[in-house]
Amino acid sequence: MMELLAALEVSAFATWVREASTIWAYPTILTLHTVGLGVLVGANAAFDLRVLGFGRQIPLAPIEWLFPAMWVGFWLNAITGAMLFSADPIEKGTTALFMVKLSIVMVGVVLIPLLRRAVYSRGCAALAVTPLAKTFAAVSLVVWVAATVTGRWMAYW
Amino acid sequence: MTQLDAWLDALFAATTLDESTIVFLKGTALAQWVVSTPWVWPTAEALHFLGLALLVGVIGLLDVRLLGFMKSVPVAALKALVPWAVAGFVINLVTGMLFFTAAPDQYMHNLSWWFKVLFLAIAGVNMLLFETTQRSRMRAMQPGDDTPPAFKVIGGVSLVSWLMVVYWGRMLPFLGDAF
Repeated sequence: MMELLAALEVSAFATWVREASTIWAYPTILTLHTVGLGVLVGANAAFDLRVLGFGRQIPLAPIEWLFPAMWVGFWLNAITGAMLFSADPIEKGTTALFMVKLSIVMVGVVLIPLLRRAVYSRGCAALAVTPLAKTFAAVSLVVWVAATVTGRWMAYW
Repeated sequence: MTQLDAWLDALFAATTLDESTIVFLKGTALAQWVVSTPWVWPTAEALHFLGLALLVGVIGLLDVRLLGFMKSVPVAALKALVPWAVAGFVINLVTGMLFFTAAPDQYMHNLSWWFKVLFLAIAGVNMLLFETTQRSRMRAMQPGDDTPPAFKVIGGVSLVSWLMVVYWGRMLPFLGDAF
């Protein structure tokens, strides 16, 4: 495993991400990671808040597109995240905080389709917020807050 | 020195805070506390990113409606979520002022920061224009109505300017020297 991380660290791509003296390498990748965070966590938070009872007048059917939006944010961050990891794999691959963040993200990702199904599976006519949907929404909110905090803290610890 | 560097130097010289103001800010009890307490800066950064997500998520949804999508959603219904965006903005204003007070020079001398402030101002004026000139039209809108051109312009300007605020904020350490 360590050999693999070491090989990744010295690869041409990782070296470019880490060392290229252009804003199009590390700075732009990191900025895209922040934009993806805004889309994923932002869309998720807006939907969770609606399910939890804020903005009750917002009909549910026309905001289902927030789910594909969350996936766009997620894949943008999976790709940019892998690129950022490649720049510093030995350090990140052995940091507990990074493992904690990844685990939290995985829980959040599993919750995306669960929340969607809990709200939309019974067809447009019967759209209603069930206690199960509320539970998924509340847990989602907490999980993405935790993912954001642990991700941001990777810069410091 | 490249042309860009020369241009930046001239801009910084014209916009830099008075040196005594910088010394004053750094000498405040707040700045001393931020600099000497290791957990404060990372915690404020984490909150700053949570505020970002809350603001961008809620305002982005409203902007999409103003652009003319989700016509069956009343604009007024979406506005019920806006207090959450305001909460995100207040979190970021407070944490942002904390960063600025603790290290004013790294923002003052940073072109990225000036662009961020510029786009914050554009987003703010844009929102004020909506609230002052479009209020009655917004109230009169029925579900299913397409949005008038003014709404589309305001929604588009809002979406782009908040994206620019995020962009220039994240670029602070790379185009300047902020950490």
